[in-house]
Amino acid sequence: VNSSSVFTVRYFRTTAVHRDDVVTVNTPAFAESVTEGDVRWEKAVGDTVAEDEVVCEIETDKTSVQVPAPAAGVIEALLVPDGGKVEGGTPLFKLRKTGAAPAKAKPAAAPPPPAAPEPVAAAAPPAAAAPIPTTMPPVPPVSAQPMDSKPVSAVKPAAAPVAAPPGEAVPSKGARSEHRVKMNRMRQRIAQRLKEAQNTCAMLTTFNEIDMSNIREMRAQHKDPFLKKHNLKLGFMSAFVKAAAFALQDQPVVNAVIDDTTKEIVYRDYVDISVAVATPRGLVVPVIRNVENMNFADIERAIHELGEKARKNELAIEDMDGGTFTISNGGVFGSLFGTPIINPPQSAILGMHAIFDRPVAVGGKVEVRPMMYVALTYDHRLIDGREAVTFLRKIKAAVEDPRVLLLDL
Amino acid sequence: MALPRSLRSCLQRPCLLRSPRARLGGAGGGGLILQSLSGDVYQNLAVEDWIHEQVSLENRQVLFLWRNAPAVVIGRHQNPWQECNLRLMRQKGIKLARRRSGGGTVYHDLGNINLTFFTTRKKYERMDNLKLVVRALKALRPQLDVHVTDRYDIVLGGRYKISGTAAKLGRTTAYHHCTLLCSADKSVLSSVLKSPYKGLKSNATASVPSSVRNLLEEDPALTCELLLEAIAKEYATWHQIDHHITLINPADEAVLPGINSKAKELQTWEWVYGKTPKFSISTYFDMTYKDSVLEVKVDMEVKHGRIEVCNIDAPEQWLPPGLCQELAKSLTGSRFCPDEVAVLASTLLRTCPQDNELRNKWNLLCENMRMLM
Repeated sequence: VNSSSVFTVRYFRTTAVHRDDVVTVNTPAFAESVTEGDVRWEKAVGDTVAEDEVVCEIETDKTSVQVPAPAAGVIEALLVPDGGKVEGGTPLFKLRKTGAAPAKAKPAAAPPPPAAPEPVAAAAPPAAAAPIPTTMPPVPPVSAQPMDSKPVSAVKPAAAPVAAPPGEAVPSKGARSEHRVKMNRMRQRIAQRLKEAQNTCAMLTTFNEIDMSNIREMRAQHKDPFLKKHNLKLGFMSAFVKAAAFALQDQPVVNAVIDDTTKEIVYRDYVDISVAVATPRGLVVPVIRNVENMNFADIERAIHELGEKARKNELAIEDMDGGTFTISNGGVFGSLFGTPIINPPQSAILGMHAIFDRPVAVGGKVEVRPMMYVALTYDHRLIDGREAVTFLRKIKAAVEDPRVLLLDL
Repeated sequence: MALPRSLRSCLQRPCLLRSPRARLGGAGGGGLILQSLSGDVYQNLAVEDWIHEQVSLENRQVLFLWRNAPAVVIGRHQNPWQECNLRLMRQKGIKLARRRSGGGTVYHDLGNINLTFFTTRKKYERMDNLKLVVRALKALRPQLDVHVTDRYDIVLGGRYKISGTAAKLGRTTAYHHCTLLCSADKSVLSSVLKSPYKGLKSNATASVPSSVRNLLEEDPALTCELLLEAIAKEYATWHQIDHHITLINPADEAVLPGINSKAKELQTWEWVYGKTPKFSISTYFDMTYKDSVLEVKVDMEVKHGRIEVCNIDAPEQWLPPGLCQELAKSLTGSRFCPDEVAVLASTLLRTCPQDNELRNKWNLLCENMRMLM
């Protein structure tokens, strides 16, 4: 179509021809004799909007008024800064209209992980409704748009943004693209630290299995009186924490740590147990201090308090700091068996796993028992194999029969 | 223009007084009075969204009555750090919600009534609504000295605010909602609505604080129930509809399809905190460590609730070189949230060589940083 024969009059769009034209949208008249308001932008320059999609809100005198896009297109310019004042009729923004209405851009903003510290670059050409991370090959400039106007509406705001070479068919199933997200500093630092730990410690893992029948029975029998007296639920962790403390006192070298700078072994006569917990914010490792002096009730109370604090977002930094030994429970995710990694600067970590019913040999016969595999990863520079195995066996003995703790066996 | 089927079926459910058929129609156009069964602020705000989007308001008005368990509600474009004491709220378990209408910050509890008037955009008239409320109050207690100000507040005795207003205008529909203080806890109200955060600079909408009073203080017999009845009655009379309150359960997907996802969205961090207009903090705090007092200066820029720029200026040599910088760099990009800072700080600490001195200093510094949030 010969475009020179078609006038573009602002706000008047000929339907026969999809021709880009830029529309300036003004502030709507205010209700009730209000004279001015503040603009709050929802969209940014370069964002694709559908017809009627909210581009900004104007706040006047306790009222929030939405300003929608008059047609589908791309925001070309914002004429007022965020928070700026406007009156009825003040030009607000320029919209470059396009023929097609892209799928709602809003859901596309969500998938690129919020964890990525880089603010998501909203400048996306219409061909891709999702924001594009920096390292992608350059995307066709806007002027190529009219050529692509046919299949644009087919582009779905998928989590993986796609860069279609100009003129080619719309990206669809089978498009093999990549998506790069920069590692945030925290992750980089942890990665570095873990590798350092792995390179300095001589890490080994020894395994064992625990028959959970007695503990289950103890819980079944005593959980109600326990709840009544202590107002706490009797869980499994207290059994393991107590058993670990017991074993650590029996084998102090597992509670110790090598000071690489002075080449000394630091023995500690207190037992602080870190319990690894996965939260939406990341791994937190709150510490139960001085477990050597605690009984089951004390331990359950400490765990409960930490849990409450975490829930109310009140965990203090010092709650999560320190620890001489870590217990990590992969069992909550259903893990059968695995090698935990030491939490530096400690020397050992106990990994608990899920409890599964298994046939085992008991007194020469096959019985089905609830069994849990446990793993102890330890620093072999400090802890010998014999000590590690004895340590783990002690935990096993104390969990399988808590009377061991009572009798100090 | 039919109501969405589900809301219509809600009307047919056995309710308070009479059968539903008589309700709609009538000389003045249709009308509906709804009351929420829930005290959950997010669910109730979600109902407002739902009605705003789904109910056709041609020839019909809707009044929605609701109350909430203790919560602070900020306006669409406000900054919660500027408006309220988030620390205190976390301790007391008082929720924070951001509504979609403009205006300032209010404290809700079960002693406060919320009224939402839904109309078409053409029929949007806040003054009329507030005058209706005043009429209702005067019908209950003719000597009550209440009137509507030109700022759309309702004032008692010429000096105490008992109601604040906010509104939202959509393309074709609008709503105006207001509070009404009946028997709210004023001491909690004043303590949570006072922000302890210093050094904030932002162009977010600021609240205008006022002295408040409960209607109960004027007359101990004025309970929330009495007030709700009176307002519903006045609304029914004015719009010539049946005086009939339909109870709705904001968690019921069958009646309000899609309501639960609306409520969920209102609770996300991205909505409640992330929609705060960009702001900057320039402040300092003093830390007492052993026998000395150290001053730490902090400068931050926060956008979408995330720290974009972070500068921590602590005394030289107090912490191992570069550690302060490391903290500042790690905070950049993370949420302006004490939770996240706690995780970050403890993780960072674990990546450093351990000694008690360092640990104590670090904890002190990081706890102070968290106090800013």
